[in-house]
Amino acid sequence: MAEKLLTKLFDVENAHTIDIYIQKNGYRAIQKALKEMTPEQILEEVKAANLRGRGGAGFPAGVKWGFVPKTVDKPKYLCVNADEGEPGTFKDRYIMTHNPHLLLEGIIISSYCVGIHTAYIYIRGEYEVIALRLEEAIAEAYAKGYLGKDILGSGFDLDVYVHRGAGAYICGEETALLESLEGKRGNPRLKPPFPASIGLFKCPTVINNIETLANVPLIILNGADWFKQKGLPKDGGTRIFGVSGMVAKPGIYELPIGTPLKDIIFEHAGGMKKGKKLKAVIPGGMSAPVLTADEINVAMDFDSLVEAKSMLGSGAIIVIDQDTSMLEVLRLVAKFYSHESCGQCTPCRIGNAWIRKTVDRMANGAGQKGDIDNIIRVASNILGKTLCPLGDAAAMPILSITQKFREELESHIKGQG
Amino acid sequence: MSPEFSDQTKQKIAEVIARYPQKKAALLPVLHLVQQEIGHISAAEEIQLAGLLELKPIQVREVVTFYTMYNRQPVGKYHIQVCSNLSCSLLGAQSLIDYLKDKLGIDLGETTSDKKFTLTTVECLGACEHAPCMMVNFDYYGKLSKKTIDEILDHLE
Amino acid sequence: MVKIFIDEKPVETKEGATIFKAAQEAGIPIPHLCYHPAFEPEGTCRMCLVEIEGVPKLELACSTQVREGMKIFTRNERVVEARKGVLEFLCAEHPLDCPICDQAGECKLQDYYEEYGLFDSQFREVKEKRRKKAQIAKNLIHDQERCVLCRRCVRFLREVTGTREMGVFERGNHTEVNILDEINIDNNYSGNLAEICPVGAITDSDFRFKTRSWFLAEGDSICPHCSRGCSVSIHYNSAFHRFPVPKRVFRVNSRTNPDINGYWICDIGRYAYPYIDKNRCDKIIFNNDNTQLSWESAIPLIAKKMRRLKDMDNTSHLAIIMNTWLTNEELFLLKKLFVDYFQAENIFFVDPPHGEADDVLLTAERTPNRKGAVEIGFDLRPLDWSELSGNTDILLIFGSFLTGQTDSGEVKTHLDKIETKILLTPHSSDLDALMDIILPTAVIPEKSGSLTNVDGIVQEFAPVLEGIGESQPEWKILIDLAKLMNADFSVKTFTSPAVILEEMGKEIAFFKKRQ
Repeated sequence: MAEKLLTKLFDVENAHTIDIYIQKNGYRAIQKALKEMTPEQILEEVKAANLRGRGGAGFPAGVKWGFVPKTVDKPKYLCVNADEGEPGTFKDRYIMTHNPHLLLEGIIISSYCVGIHTAYIYIRGEYEVIALRLEEAIAEAYAKGYLGKDILGSGFDLDVYVHRGAGAYICGEETALLESLEGKRGNPRLKPPFPASIGLFKCPTVINNIETLANVPLIILNGADWFKQKGLPKDGGTRIFGVSGMVAKPGIYELPIGTPLKDIIFEHAGGMKKGKKLKAVIPGGMSAPVLTADEINVAMDFDSLVEAKSMLGSGAIIVIDQDTSMLEVLRLVAKFYSHESCGQCTPCRIGNAWIRKTVDRMANGAGQKGDIDNIIRVASNILGKTLCPLGDAAAMPILSITQKFREELESHIKGQG
Repeated sequence: MSPEFSDQTKQKIAEVIARYPQKKAALLPVLHLVQQEIGHISAAEEIQLAGLLELKPIQVREVVTFYTMYNRQPVGKYHIQVCSNLSCSLLGAQSLIDYLKDKLGIDLGETTSDKKFTLTTVECLGACEHAPCMMVNFDYYGKLSKKTIDEILDHLE
Repeated sequence: MVKIFIDEKPVETKEGATIFKAAQEAGIPIPHLCYHPAFEPEGTCRMCLVEIEGVPKLELACSTQVREGMKIFTRNERVVEARKGVLEFLCAEHPLDCPICDQAGECKLQDYYEEYGLFDSQFREVKEKRRKKAQIAKNLIHDQERCVLCRRCVRFLREVTGTREMGVFERGNHTEVNILDEINIDNNYSGNLAEICPVGAITDSDFRFKTRSWFLAEGDSICPHCSRGCSVSIHYNSAFHRFPVPKRVFRVNSRTNPDINGYWICDIGRYAYPYIDKNRCDKIIFNNDNTQLSWESAIPLIAKKMRRLKDMDNTSHLAIIMNTWLTNEELFLLKKLFVDYFQAENIFFVDPPHGEADDVLLTAERTPNRKGAVEIGFDLRPLDWSELSGNTDILLIFGSFLTGQTDSGEVKTHLDKIETKILLTPHSSDLDALMDIILPTAVIPEKSGSLTNVDGIVQEFAPVLEGIGESQPEWKILIDLAKLMNADFSVKTFTSPAVILEEMGKEIAFFKKRQ
């Protein structure tokens, strides 16, 4: 049985309420952080723990915090990325629903470390019910003095607000999130400048994923070495893997980083649904290149998946069976990215629509010779040429499907295959 | 005649605006509040909100047309949004969408003549472990089948 | 300064400059659509991607700052492939409108396609259908299918005029730039939108279908319609004789001048160009006699009348109505001749009426040289008929601005009391019938000289067009007149406006040229 760290209280009734949470040893981490540690010490601990971002990009959280200038005459902000739009991903929903106070502790400690006094939780618009739960938890924390002025008598002030998005996957990209928080269209910004220097309202800003922040209290209470032990030295801690698709037991599974993908599917998630055979797996959310049935012996950590020419991303595992057409998978991928493209830059705006139109035509039985080469060429012209990572997020899975399942795709074109 | 927001909504709007150092940052949450009361965002609401947040109406329209959750037209009492993304499609979402179209007698994007149901598809709702999923207003329903869809719809007044 | 290499060529450039600016200064063009020097870089068109040695991804030239030792490649194979890729995307959703599109010949998409594209289309899908031929301003037509979403128009209306009539709506490939709910663009700078649009998405309805851009020649000039003195470029037909051409000038575009107008001109200056060709007076007219006058006979005739006044010590009987469209040199000549030499007192100024200034470029004064007249020493006295009529024998009027200013019945009454009325003007008007002699003059694009703008900047200009018919510039007429006066003054030796300006610099400190 895998050790539960983040998910320990998920099955405990009412653990989302502050009284039960405190009963279960909650809000001890902020006591230690605010009363016994300096911001510099917290930063060193988080850096040493090798806590990498759980949103998808995997950037080390401690390093990111270190980019924020120490003293500056502008306010600093923390934006908590609860947009959770990557298809296949649902782990943050669990954290917010079942253990919002763990998240709040992480927010408080991170803000204290970086010198931030205002935090916004940017939560996707569809999570309205969860946003209400967050607001309740925040109100409870204020009531107990864990938020607001002079927290625990430390002299540290912090306000936390919930800000709802309105249906745009692109707002999970950090600079598009900032634009959306400022009341504008979710168009990603050019980098440099980076949010750590010019971010929300032109002030230094840190943006972190929900799960990333939820790990911070654990690191503070148990130390960096403990954290690295739970995962890998270069990649500390556990991940909450979300498994969906044609498995017997879809759901969340908290496991050490580096757990083999094969084990997650067949040991933990119950293997394939009855009568289904494995065809392909998307290991890290739809943006991750697809792996064939022969390629699932890979360890689920950042570096191993990069070596396997895919990525860990959001740790969302989608399992595809032999009865599913890869043309249909390709169609759904193209549909998603063309729908979610913000439209700012030429390759993503026009390239994704072009691919979608071609795949739709193929799916309607009107595929032509050369269509697949066209798709590959268009996707290659998107890759690496766009203003933000959404272009790559679209091109990579499309290229992996067209390359690894080319024969099957060609069989849909009359006169081919 | 532009509709005035209720006092309760105006109060909530003022609270939300106070959370940000710039008024216009409150636009997205405030649009949600207005839509909650009025049901959709028309030009009249855009003009009112622009005044409240010190923006020009065109800036409000730019935002409303970018995000999928803001209704430009009125929707039925229950807005059914069925997920058509990968995990849900693997588990049969497409046939359920067809079933709903048939059952309600409308196409995607349309509203039933008694104004009770609007049907649309939506991208990943973040509940893939319960695929196939749909969202009715803001309530999530998962592990759908034709039978459970019938039951859910029957219970909606 | 930092030293970098562009295409293996060493280039020195300011620290913090972008690759684009450094390349531009070194004479290396980099294709771009969304970039415009007036605005912060957007980085969305992706045309300006270049390769930097040691950097795995291609980077944007418009926004990437140079660093010491940077090695940049602007047209190696990888960069050209990337450009082709972007072009292919743009062409895929672009309509085949070239034969009917006004932008042809000055279209960035055409230019780049010719240089980097030249591929056959592989797009087998249906292009997005959008709004075409929508009138979004009195003077602008919008074609959304041609739009490449560079959003220069939206940025212009946000940052220059602050009026925000256009916005960006929808998302993904449905993204469109548009006005809001048929509320048209209505500001004094809308014409700039057609200029900054790199393709034919926003075109000028004044220019629509009138001619092809490659039939036009260009000449630098200064806008005379207010005292800002914006730099303009006059586009005129360079005599393509396949069809009879009713006019020479087809449009006036802005010309970049960081000291005066930046990148823009206002609509008043932009669309007033018909004054150059319409209603021109091109012959000397002598109303009192059936004899034909030529310059050889007209000038001596006028000079004789003036000399007689001077000899009889009746110089107070000479009156002049001037205007501030006259150049510095012409005003200086007028001062030398009529103030210094003739000691005339009845000197008045009649100009078109003031308008409202805006806080961008347009001044309230609607003439180009008011400040010049002041610096030369005129006190810009408005016309007072009571001082004129009764004891005026010769009246010289420059310009036809009296038309429409005074009720012409009243004007006729006053004029009838004056023995000799001479009008020097470029345009025909209802004033003509009341005059004795009409001398046709040049307009500013047809002569050389200088003008002083509202901030005191003296700008010299050269002619762009040839004079029409018998018309002559005022400065030449005045020198010819002065030569026939019984006085030994230096004016007679002036040969050109440039010489006059130099003389002015010696006499009036304001006009001393600053190096």
